[in-house]
Amino acid sequence: MDFDFSPLLGSWRFLAAGLWLTVLLSITAVIASFVFGLAVALGRLYGPAWLKAVLVFYIDSMRAIPVFVVLVWIYFAVPIISGYTFAPFWAALTGITIHVAAYVAEVIRAGLTSIRKGQIQAGLAIGMSNSQILRHILLPQAIVRMLPAFGSIISVTIKDTAIAAVIAVPELMRQAETLAGQSYRPIEIFTTVMVIYFLIIFPVTRLVDRFYTRVAHLGRS
Amino acid sequence: MTAFTRKNADKPPMLIYDKVRKKYGNFTALDGVSLNVNAGEVVCLIGPSGSGKSTLLRCTNALETLDGGEISFESRPLPKTEPEMRKVRQRMGMVFQSFELFPHKTALENVAMGLTTVRKMGAEEAHKRATALLTKVGLADKTANYPANLSGGQQQRVAIARALAMEPHVMLFDEPTSALDPETVGEVLSVMRTLADEGMTMVVVTHEMSFARRVANWVVVFERGQLLEEGPPQQIFEAPTAERTREFLSHLGWNG
Ligand SMILES: Nc1ncnc2c1ncn2[C@@H]1O[C@H](COP(=O)(O)OP(=O)(O)O)[C@@H](O)[C@H]1O
Ligand SMILES: [Mg+2]
Repeated sequence: MDFDFSPLLGSWRFLAAGLWLTVLLSITAVIASFVFGLAVALGRLYGPAWLKAVLVFYIDSMRAIPVFVVLVWIYFAVPIISGYTFAPFWAALTGITIHVAAYVAEVIRAGLTSIRKGQIQAGLAIGMSNSQILRHILLPQAIVRMLPAFGSIISVTIKDTAIAAVIAVPELMRQAETLAGQSYRPIEIFTTVMVIYFLIIFPVTRLVDRFYTRVAHLGRS
Repeated sequence: MTAFTRKNADKPPMLIYDKVRKKYGNFTALDGVSLNVNAGEVVCLIGPSGSGKSTLLRCTNALETLDGGEISFESRPLPKTEPEMRKVRQRMGMVFQSFELFPHKTALENVAMGLTTVRKMGAEEAHKRATALLTKVGLADKTANYPANLSGGQQQRVAIARALAMEPHVMLFDEPTSALDPETVGEVLSVMRTLADEGMTMVVVTHEMSFARRVANWVVVFERGQLLEEGPPQQIFEAPTAERTREFLSHLGWNG
C-alpha cells in the first residue's frame, strides 16, 4: 500500500479552518458547560424542592441520552416544534453544552458536599453568611478537588465536538470527511486528523493533572 | 466552704445559660444546663468525652439550635433570625479542635477573611490588621504560608488570630490542643494565657488540667449533658464535692 499525503499539502488551509472551528467550539462549549453546570449544581443543592426535581430529571436524562441524539434533536426537531432555527454552530454549542453541563453539575455537587462541616462552621463562626461561605470557602476548595474530573470532562467535550460534523458544522472532522471524499485518500487524512486531536487533547489533560498536583493542598481541609 | 466571689460578680454576666436542653433525635446531649460566665473570666469546661461540652459551645454561637431553655449573651437572649445571629457571632470568637483553617488561603488571608467579607474592609487595612494579629500570636514570619505548610500549633495560632480579628467579646475554645503534637501544645496554651491575662472572656473546653488549674477562674465539670459540679479551680482540683469528679480527674492522672 502506498501513502500519498499530497492532498493535505494542497488543502491544509481547508483543514486548518476546521481545526480553528473545533478549537472555538471546544473553548466556548467548555466555558458554557461550566457556567451552566455550576448553576445547575447550586440549584440542585440549595434550590427549592420543585427546582431540585426538575434538575435531577434533567441530569438523569442527559446521562441516559447520547450527545449525538441531543445534538441532532436540537438541530432538526427544535425548529419544527418552536419555529426557531439554529445555525449549525449554535446548535452544536447548545447540544454539547446541555449535555456536558449535566456532568459538570454532578462533579461540582460532589465536590461541594465532600467538604467537611467544620469549614462551614468556621465561616459561620466569624459571621459569614451562607452565600459568602459558598463563594469564599466551599467553591474554591471544591473546584480544586475536582480538577482531575474537570480534566476528563474537558477532554470529553473536545472529543464531542467531532459529532458536530453530522449537522454540517465545518469543524475538523467535517472538513476531513469532505477532503477524504474529494481526494480518495481517507487513510492519510483521517490519520492526520487523529494525530491532531491527540495533539490537542493530550497536553490539555496533562496540564490539568500537573496543575492539580501543584495546587491539591489548597483543597485539602 | 469559704465564700468565693467570682470575677466581676457585681456586673451582669456575659453569658447566661438557663436550663439549656439539646437533643439529637432521642439522645439528650444537654439536659438542663444552667451556668453563668462573667466578663473577663476564664471558664474551663471539663468532663468525659461525649458529655456535651462541644455541644454547649456550638449552642452558644447558635451553630446548633436549642430544644429548651435559653442562652443570653450580653444581657440579650440569642436572636432567632440568621442575619441577627450573624451579628452576634461576630462578637464571639470560636476556635476548633481541628483548626478549620481555610486551606486555599494563606495565614494572612485566613485572618483577614472575616474583615474583608463580613466587615467589607479594604484589603490593605484588613491585611495590616491581620499582620498585627499574626505578630501577636508569634507568627509574623508565616503570613504568606498556606495551612499545609504550617505545623499544628502554628495552624491553631492562626485560627486564634482569625477569631480575634473580629474583635470578639468572648472566645470559645473547643479542645484547642487535643489534635496537637505534644511539643506544640505549649505554644498554643501560652497564646491563650496571654489572652486571659489581657482580660479576654474565655470559655475553654480542655483536657489540659494544669492549664485549667492555673489559668481558669471557674471550672465546670460535665457529665452526660449535665453539670456535675462547678467551682473555683482550687475547689474542683483539690476538694471536689462529687465523687464522679474525683474519678474523672484520677482517670486523667490528676493527683493534685
Ligand atoms: N450532630 C450530632 N448528631 C448526633 N449526635 C451528636 C451530634 N453531635 C454530638 N452528638 C452526641 O452528643 C453527645 C455529646 O457530644 P459532644 O458535645 O461532642 O461531647 P464532648 O464535646 O463533651 O465530648 C455525644 O454522645 C455525641 O455523640
Ligand atoms: Mg468535644
